[in-house]
Amino acid sequence: MNKEKISSQEIIDLVASKASVSKRAAEEFLKVMIASIEEGLLAGESVKIKSFGTFKLQWNEPRKSVNIQTREEILINGYYKVVFVPDVTLKEQINEPFAHLEPVELDTDPTKNELIEETDPITDPRRLFNEQAVEIKNLISEIQALSRKPAAVIQEDMPDHVALNDEIKQIPVYNVEEEESESEAENENLKKNQETIIEDKEKDIELSTAKSSEYQEAIIEKVNIEKADPKVESLGETIREDESTPIKDDKPVNPDFITNPNYIANSTDLNEEKVIEIKEIKPEDKDSQLISELASTPYLENLKPLKRHKVRNWVLLILFLIIGCGTGLYIYYASSVDNAMTKIAQHVSITDMSNTVSDWISPAPKPTPKPIKVVIPKDTTEYAAKVPVQPVDSVQLLFDNPRVYTEFIASERIQAGSRLTIMSKRYFKSKDFWVYIYEANKDKISNPDEIAIGTLIRIPKLDPRLIDINNPRCMLKAKELHDIYVN
Amino acid sequence: MNNKELITSIATKLNAPKSVAAILLETTVATCAQLLMEDKTIGFQSFGNFEVRKKDERLSVHPSTQIRTLIPPKLVVNFKQSNILKDKLKDMPHHE
Repeated sequence: MNKEKISSQEIIDLVASKASVSKRAAEEFLKVMIASIEEGLLAGESVKIKSFGTFKLQWNEPRKSVNIQTREEILINGYYKVVFVPDVTLKEQINEPFAHLEPVELDTDPTKNELIEETDPITDPRRLFNEQAVEIKNLISEIQALSRKPAAVIQEDMPDHVALNDEIKQIPVYNVEEEESESEAENENLKKNQETIIEDKEKDIELSTAKSSEYQEAIIEKVNIEKADPKVESLGETIREDESTPIKDDKPVNPDFITNPNYIANSTDLNEEKVIEIKEIKPEDKDSQLISELASTPYLENLKPLKRHKVRNWVLLILFLIIGCGTGLYIYYASSVDNAMTKIAQHVSITDMSNTVSDWISPAPKPTPKPIKVVIPKDTTEYAAKVPVQPVDSVQLLFDNPRVYTEFIASERIQAGSRLTIMSKRYFKSKDFWVYIYEANKDKISNPDEIAIGTLIRIPKLDPRLIDINNPRCMLKAKELHDIYVN
Repeated sequence: MNNKELITSIATKLNAPKSVAAILLETTVATCAQLLMEDKTIGFQSFGNFEVRKKDERLSVHPSTQIRTLIPPKLVVNFKQSNILKDKLKDMPHHE
């Protein structure tokens, strides 16, 4: 061992100089001290020395052993042995170089690594990209959720596509047969019918269906405007009627439509139910319009064969209408999303917003007594485009922004055995926050594990939210930083 | 025997006031701690050696939960009695 051994004589010298007594007195004292301890031990007592430790006697049981050379069994008598149990203060003093180490649970390591991967440095572009991707995902799912509702309602209303399709087939006849004045009168009735049906439905569904029907109407009107037909209104109403009639009665399966490939495709696709629904109404509308324009009975008679043969034309029409509907939907939802965003913006209190905004502009940590948890609204791309600031948690902002250290509460010179962790423990109550001291003194420290003795370390003033021991996120963040700087 | 009793015992043997004995004891303890922190071995003749030993890091497995924990290394004070003290204790009968 390369350990330097200090003899009793040296201790005596040191004690003499420290206590400013003569060496002889110190020597005598030491002898007496040891004698007293021995005396106490021999009396069977344990001897306790304040802030040093306790000397105890430990009984070792007699045991049998074998003489290696002669293979003779010998009995080792029981004996007392002096053991020394160091006092807590001495223990801590001695273990100071390793005081910053803590037991690590190894089995939880994989999850920890994952966390580190997920939330990496502030400047990581991948993370920002991920955030945006999540936003877009949310938006899409929202749209899907919204569009699914009306679809479901419509599905409920019409037990079969066939029923509707059947209806569609009948429309032309209906249109032509009835006179305009008559149809107007009936339309009013039908309107009422529809309204009562809508009222029956659940509130939220009602809203969405109402919107969708309005929307459909709008689209239909648009289409009709081109024609400048006086029947515009009535046509719109007939379509409404189409919606409502299937509810009233189920009609038998129409063989014509089973052969229709479009129908089969429609029935399989549930997600796009709504779009298809509108699409289905649209062709019929257009069809009826065309037929009404024709407005002559001979044509009507030819209608059935015409339909069969012009499946292709149908498909084209449907495709065209899908595109029209798609753009219409987009405009509609864009406006609705805007509305939603303004609502969300109101939710986030103005103070919080100003907080985050100011934090964004000047990344210097802002001391506030408590970490304010801002409800993170669902972000959309639209919103992000409008407002560059994403209203995220203010604490999260503190974490994400590069910290700038301008104020310092203290400064300390590195001595032998000094550690950033120990300083951190002293100033911030937890050794985990040493990373912030390191960050503030990065220019002077090349390696946080080996700091040159004599280096002046400045202890930065930190946002209390950042070093909240009770906030697990703070600890997590500090640990992340720790892993970044240590590895 | 606690700290007070030890001081009393020393004081009576030295024929010195307790306060002096207390100060001297305190100084000795502080000196010893200081020397130990400097990673030095202290040998008291006829009594024993104080030494700082490094306990290496180790893996501990919790018997019931099977959670493996890495225990960090640490420094501990170790006392080894001298043979003289051992011999003195040898003749001590086993109480109990």
